[in-house]
Amino acid sequence: MASLLTGKVSSGMTQPLPSSVASDLAEIVGHEHVITDPDRLLVYESDGLTAYRRSPRAVVLPSSTEEISAVVGLLHSNGIEVIPRGAGTGLSGGALATPEGVIVGTARMNRILKIDVENRIAIAQPGVINARLTEATNPYGLYYAPDPSSQSTCTLGGNVAENSGGPHCLKYGVTARYVTGLTVVLAGGRIVELGGVGRDPYTTLDLVGLFVGSEGCFGIATEIELRLLPITEGVRTLLGIFESVESAGRAVTKIIASGLMPAAVEIVDGPTIEAVEASVFAAGYPLEAGAALVIEFDGTEAGLDLDADRAEQCCLEEGAIEVQRATDPEHRMKLWRARKKAFGAMGRIAPDLLVQDATVPRTKLPEVLAGIDNIGNRYGLKIANVFHAGDGNLHPNILFDRQNQNELELVERASKEIMQLCVDAGGTITGEHGVGVDKREYMTLVHGPAELEAMAAAKRVFDPASLFNPGKVLPAVEVKEANESRSN
Amino acid sequence: MRVDLTDSLSRLLPGEAFGHSVPSSLWAVLRTGVETVVAPGSTEEVATLLKWASEMGVRVVPIGTGAHMCPRYPRDPFIVLTTSRLKEIQHYEPADLTMTASAGASIRDLSTETAIYGQWLPFDPPDVPNRTLGGLVATGLSGPLWAGYGQLRNHVLGATIVCGDGRALRLGGKVVKNVAGFDILKLMVGSRGELAVITSVTVRLFPLPVVDQLLVLEATDVSELVSTARAVATAPIMPASIILSGTSDGGRLLVRLHGAKVSVEADQKSLEKHTGVSFEVRNTPEAESLLVHKRDSRINAELAVRVWALPSRIGVLLDVLKKVPGVSLNADVYGGSVRAYLPVNLSDIESSLAGLQKDIEELGGTIRALRIPAEVNASSYFAKPLVDEGELAAGLKRAFDPHAVLWGIE
Repeated sequence: MASLLTGKVSSGMTQPLPSSVASDLAEIVGHEHVITDPDRLLVYESDGLTAYRRSPRAVVLPSSTEEISAVVGLLHSNGIEVIPRGAGTGLSGGALATPEGVIVGTARMNRILKIDVENRIAIAQPGVINARLTEATNPYGLYYAPDPSSQSTCTLGGNVAENSGGPHCLKYGVTARYVTGLTVVLAGGRIVELGGVGRDPYTTLDLVGLFVGSEGCFGIATEIELRLLPITEGVRTLLGIFESVESAGRAVTKIIASGLMPAAVEIVDGPTIEAVEASVFAAGYPLEAGAALVIEFDGTEAGLDLDADRAEQCCLEEGAIEVQRATDPEHRMKLWRARKKAFGAMGRIAPDLLVQDATVPRTKLPEVLAGIDNIGNRYGLKIANVFHAGDGNLHPNILFDRQNQNELELVERASKEIMQLCVDAGGTITGEHGVGVDKREYMTLVHGPAELEAMAAAKRVFDPASLFNPGKVLPAVEVKEANESRSN
Repeated sequence: MRVDLTDSLSRLLPGEAFGHSVPSSLWAVLRTGVETVVAPGSTEEVATLLKWASEMGVRVVPIGTGAHMCPRYPRDPFIVLTTSRLKEIQHYEPADLTMTASAGASIRDLSTETAIYGQWLPFDPPDVPNRTLGGLVATGLSGPLWAGYGQLRNHVLGATIVCGDGRALRLGGKVVKNVAGFDILKLMVGSRGELAVITSVTVRLFPLPVVDQLLVLEATDVSELVSTARAVATAPIMPASIILSGTSDGGRLLVRLHGAKVSVEADQKSLEKHTGVSFEVRNTPEAESLLVHKRDSRINAELAVRVWALPSRIGVLLDVLKKVPGVSLNADVYGGSVRAYLPVNLSDIESSLAGLQKDIEELGGTIRALRIPAEVNASSYFAKPLVDEGELAAGLKRAFDPHAVLWGIE
């Protein structure tokens, strides 16, 4: 069981990889692409959630579907667990190694295999960086819509595993909407094709939809077919400054309820503004502001000013102190700066940061934000909120010092209370970061035993021996019971 | 059904669950005579029924209206489970643009309610107002509007289902972003009742467009419109839908634009510049009447197929299909699918379908029988999943319906 308190995982020490397996792996991918040196393995001991750390037995970096198939086949035939890994930017410990596991990384699978302009699809290997697909398709007037905050470093394979979101998913939807087909490597190295544009989607179940968001627990996507969109003609960006985060939340509800469809609606709260303005990323936000709302519309140029006017009116009706509108691309970037640089800026005010992730119905935002504030005050913890307000996807960030054991315990308790608060408001424990190892014990807050067993059963169809990313997503008790029922 | 089985079931469910009828057309689809029709009044009653069916070895066919089922072949005794008594709106929060309703609620009734708040469900498969919410999700059909709004599968936020063995599960939730666990909810969309019976659904709604404008282009032959249709589909703007329809009387390209008045006008100009043609403009209600006529006028045809290929191949698909005398075609240009309504007086239906199947598959497409006369063996005209996909689907079928109570994936 992993614990945020200790920053360690207690279920056993990492086992050295048998030399025969290591040499067989090297036969497949080449010696230089099998990492067993403990110093080099340190890079792979955690993902973006650094609270959990464990060195893998080895890291293998294949370069093709066939190599991944052979690697997985070899490891599984030796009963060795496979932990898939993209860029390691995940925030839920999804790429954390197990004591028995070998990380299979997709870093070398970084080619865009096809851009089909006429059908608006691209086929990419899983190690392609998210933003690179947009860069590559821009010359054709196209782009890839899902834009996680880490898009300049995260990979498409990781996005598929996590069903990643991003600020503009309010209008355009999350990764699942854009994945039309997959080549995947399943248990034992079996290569399977799922879906694809041009194939009748009703011939079978939505296996692509099930695979997306399976957090590396079903297999490894090795080729990803993605839908592209035409670049929009125009964009309007507004910044609303509010006295409180509650009034900013009410403005969000008003904007959406008025029938507007913004591309993005993001909130940064007072503590975040304070952190950003004190940092090198200072964007000129007023320090006395309780919250700022970044609102963006895109689409046909002709209708955008009208939309922006209506959104501005909604903000003013909910008590906005001022509303700015970007006048040029540079100004737009400036209005976005506090949102985009918030996490970096927080490093100035506390040594450690726990980025939480939960979704609530949009109308519950004001009461949930007040509740989070209350939890922070009760535990004496500073909590800064930066989040996708348009779809109710909260990111309460708890600032703390890992060296202070007492504070660590408070962080863990406050974190669980925030999750419960969001669930009680009709929400869920994660909107885009995934469950990974971090939230598996919270899964019982939103799912009953029957639902968890159904998920476990779906995993068994893809991975009967549980050799893909074990110990993730499903709570420990569920896995134990499922294993017992299987052996009976 | 044997009398003892009927007696045993009647002791488990209240009297209101019995004595219901279903459309006579359903029996033609199921290729058999009337058995028992049961209409449970709650998720719990659905669970009771399915547990009983599991124990008794009785097969169950879940239906919404029963009007849009694909041809099937019963092998064992079965009963029809209709969701006709599950109709209520359980939760509607207009400010959140989410609604939870029971599976048997009709899209027409739900749309009447959402229209009060200026909202709608932007899906337009054939006969959509008469479909039930559960039926719409079970068939997974979005209609051509998915071009502008995305597919239904991405807007189903949650569901209550009862698995084949009677386990009731609550999947997903009421929020638009949710990655808490494996997405088994996605499996239910388009699962045709083969894994579970859907008893309620939470969907994301959208604001009704301020302007719903239809651009029309007509020609004596549908093929003359293909290049323009594809130009629209690859234009820098995203229309709400792009439909190409064709009969022996001629062809029509129907492009639907949604948005504020100024942006719709600008989009039209942009499309006309991009395609080099001038469209005729139709506004509601004339536009709606034309769209509904094109969409629904042939839904009761006895012989219908759906063909899929890459969207860029839509022209060659239409060239093949229009060779069938008397055919009526409706193509979703953005999605790459065509519904073809065929005359039943074809001299030899089986060889005609086999010929079409061969031609379409040679073009890299697939063909699926949607409606087919009782005397024709439909099973040959289902697009087949790839072998691996089929095995995974069969594994999931066993996980959700271990006793194979619900018809479907074998």
